[in-house]
Amino acid sequence: MGNSVGLIDRLKENLGGKKTRGVALAILFAVVALLPLFANNYIEEVMTNTFFYIVLALGLNIVIGYAGLVDLGYAAFFAVGAYTTGIFMKMGLDFWFTIPISIVFCIIAGIIIGGPTLRLRSDYLAIVTLGFGEITRIVARNLKITGGASGLVGIERPTIFGHKLYQITDFYYTFFILVILAIIIAMRLHNSRLGRAWQYIREDEDAAEAMGIDPVKTKLYAYMIGAAFGGVAGAFFAVKMTAISPETFAFTQSAMILLAVILGGMGKIPGAILGAVFLVFFPEIFREIGQTRMLVFGILLVIIMVFRPQGLWPQRKS
Amino acid sequence: MSRKFLSLVTVTFLALALSVTGCGTQPSAPSTPSAPSAPTASGGEIKIGLPLPMTGSEATYGKDMENAIKLAVDEINAKGGVNGKKLTTITGDDACDPQQATAAANKLVSEGVVAIVGGYCSGAVVPTLTIYNEKNLPYIVEAANSSKIATQNPGNTFEINGTAVHQTQKAVELFKKLGATKVALVEQGDAYSSDLANQTEKALKAAGSTVVSHDVTTKGEQDFSSLVTSLKSKNADLVFWTAYYADGALLIKQLRQGGYKGAIVVGDGSSDPKLIQMSGAAGEGIYVLSPPVAEYLPAAKQFADAYKAKYNQAPGAYAPLAYDGINLLADALKRAGGTDGKAVIKALTDTSGFAGLAGKVAFATDKTLKESNFIVLQIKGGKFVLQ
Amino acid sequence: MHVMSLFYIVIQQLVNGLILGSFYSLVALGYSMVYGIIKLLNFAHGDIYMVGAFVGFGALGIFGSILGVGWLGITVALLISMFLVGLLGMLVHRIAYQPLLNKRAPRMSLLITAVGVSFTLFNGVMVMTNGEYKAFSTSLGYEGISLGPVNITYTQIIMVVSTAILMLVLYWFINRTMYGKAMRAIALDQDACRLMGINVTKTISLTFFVGSALAAAAGVMAGVYYGSIHFYMGFIIGLKAFTAAVIGGIGSIPGAMLGGLILGLLETAGTQLPFVGSAWKDVFTFGILILLLVSKPTGILGKSEIERM
Repeated sequence: MGNSVGLIDRLKENLGGKKTRGVALAILFAVVALLPLFANNYIEEVMTNTFFYIVLALGLNIVIGYAGLVDLGYAAFFAVGAYTTGIFMKMGLDFWFTIPISIVFCIIAGIIIGGPTLRLRSDYLAIVTLGFGEITRIVARNLKITGGASGLVGIERPTIFGHKLYQITDFYYTFFILVILAIIIAMRLHNSRLGRAWQYIREDEDAAEAMGIDPVKTKLYAYMIGAAFGGVAGAFFAVKMTAISPETFAFTQSAMILLAVILGGMGKIPGAILGAVFLVFFPEIFREIGQTRMLVFGILLVIIMVFRPQGLWPQRKS
Repeated sequence: MSRKFLSLVTVTFLALALSVTGCGTQPSAPSTPSAPSAPTASGGEIKIGLPLPMTGSEATYGKDMENAIKLAVDEINAKGGVNGKKLTTITGDDACDPQQATAAANKLVSEGVVAIVGGYCSGAVVPTLTIYNEKNLPYIVEAANSSKIATQNPGNTFEINGTAVHQTQKAVELFKKLGATKVALVEQGDAYSSDLANQTEKALKAAGSTVVSHDVTTKGEQDFSSLVTSLKSKNADLVFWTAYYADGALLIKQLRQGGYKGAIVVGDGSSDPKLIQMSGAAGEGIYVLSPPVAEYLPAAKQFADAYKAKYNQAPGAYAPLAYDGINLLADALKRAGGTDGKAVIKALTDTSGFAGLAGKVAFATDKTLKESNFIVLQIKGGKFVLQ
Repeated sequence: MHVMSLFYIVIQQLVNGLILGSFYSLVALGYSMVYGIIKLLNFAHGDIYMVGAFVGFGALGIFGSILGVGWLGITVALLISMFLVGLLGMLVHRIAYQPLLNKRAPRMSLLITAVGVSFTLFNGVMVMTNGEYKAFSTSLGYEGISLGPVNITYTQIIMVVSTAILMLVLYWFINRTMYGKAMRAIALDQDACRLMGINVTKTISLTFFVGSALAAAAGVMAGVYYGSIHFYMGFIIGLKAFTAAVIGGIGSIPGAMLGGLILGLLETAGTQLPFVGSAWKDVFTFGILILLLVSKPTGILGKSEIERM
């Protein structure tokens, strides 16, 4: 284990130069962009799934990594996004118009969850977010408008410039674009005034408050923006799957996204990406060993954490 | 990381992506050159995909169905296969989860299967229907029976298990026979059990019966005592459990322990010998709506023996239907004279007089069974007895 | 059928809530003890409870043939399971948590490690049992006391009494013994304890032993009481016990006991209440939890403290 970690470190050192890193990134982009020309449906599906979790992980990373707030119910935002899109599309609205509505609904959900609870201690925040996650799922299960336990089925596929998105390749590129947008937004946020305020609060809340930063308001922004990420991902999830049901938004889903963020390394964009890739790839690669794969996954998770608690992506040396 | 560089790459990429998705793919053109979706590519073999839960809490059912299917495949191949070709199967683990199911479906499609047989969890079946339909793959759903499958059927899907509608009819008939006037419904909040409970509630209300309560339990919850007290306080004279046997056995025990004396009926998800074992003495007299179980099918004796000989255990509740499904497919492949998806779908639609273990198969216009094959069992003396 | 009056319904539901609550309390204690000493939300605790049930099942299988499957056999199985699973708890602490504590790793990493341990136990048992349900066959009957339409079986009474005994022993252990004192001291200030010559690592290990043993006891008792066990039985109760610990004030031992009982009663009430019902019962419970935390952020018996992440 220590060896492979050392490898990543060395890799990073080698990639340290701007030029080499640029070239490496360009190659990566080219490979990912051209992949559907060579890959089969299955690989495309797995990659699309990975993109999807990358967007979610980047969103949760804003809440956990940037602002240092625990969230064990992130799937709730993703659920709100998916259901909002599903319901409005069933009412006849075009998919692209439902996205802003999903974002607004998710931000409202972020305010509802964050507003009263952000003053709480972190561990209580953990249980409260977990509680909200469960409440969201149960509400979706019990209401008529969300289709009850069977969920919404037969959600239309969206059209863009007269081209209907329905094959896996279409979604591959759609989600890839989402990933790129998410990375750009996450990077800009990180370097923004708000990003610095989050960092400040995370390091020392009292000092931040003394410097005139309103901690509750700033934390609430993190929730709202994180929620918006989940909302967009959820909206696209709804049209890709064409069917959504409450089981998808159970606690395990929240735990998975959380794992991606922390496994990769909290607060780091490449870390969140790496975490999501690991999370999706691992069970797929080990599909053959069936039942045992999740056991191996659990053991590996413990080993990684014990030997590298700061996450897979190396720490910036400062 | 240089931001300018990144945005440059992004713009180029966006243009590229749009050009590929925008004009590259016509709906009819196969998007994946490497995926041999053409049936001839499999040579002397006919590959059949089996989407089944192989991991997770429903894994035992998936394994049981896979066993039965493989048994049938061996028998068919021993007789020379279909149209001179051997059948082979590839199992895709859907883990009873919609997301895993779509991944498994795409994996099967990529492996170049020509037909799909299987499907246990309704929630995992529904999102995969269009994936198979896009490739014109016929899908014989053997166990899943939510009414949503029929409504979402894009045309390639055939259900050989009785549907929720069939089961509801049977249930209402049984309730009437038992003289129940105040029915309490208990489901588990998943797609299957909730669908059955909702359909039953509708049917009972239409028939003028009273539904005194419709409760939802959580999977894995062990304590139903407060629910039992609540049901008793509403004077229910029949409790209908629409979910699976494990939690069903707990509920049955606690109902009897709590002094409930009325009738108890459970749906096909609870039709398993383990229900008897786990509910113990409390299970006596319980009615079970069941898919056709091998034990009570005169035609299935030979199958049950072969299954026991090969796997050293008795076939489970869905084994006969799983066995029928693959045989039905083989029959349709013969009638279609090849593996062309459209021809096989046509052949399946025209099925008449195919005699499976569970009885004759014929499809209604919505591609569900024309006639229900549900049976009613009762637990008597620690055994299922056909009613 | 006999029409139950409102009075009897209330009494019966109180009894139901109390029994459910005593299971929650036993499991919640482990959460609270571990949290109190190393500020870790031990996510794997629900799975420890599940493993406890399976170890008890195995022990009853072995000793049941000699001692019978009545109370004697069950008690022996219970003690064996408590001991073995207590050791398992210590092992988990040594392998998975202590290395991170030594490195002073972020608490979030500890939490993820706990999720990893939970995955390992959960899937390990699933692989070993093939995902099958095991029927816990005992010779216990449904005999009991009937007060009008209210039923209380002897098994239920024994369950509640055993829970009470276990809690009393724990209370004595924490407040009257050296080890208990050391635990409380470490919860206050680890570094000072180290300077005073207390073996901190060992004491933390001991805490894991006690917490896991209690969860195992709850697991075996649940197996006996409900009659069947399966690999995911720990998930729901883990979630609920965690909630119970927070309601009572996490880190507080009496708080965990109280929190469990309150949660049991709340859920029971939720099932029966009009406009709530079984479908909305968990929303009702979590709703009350959130309201409680917002108005009294430290739980009912928790001490207020200033905390920074």
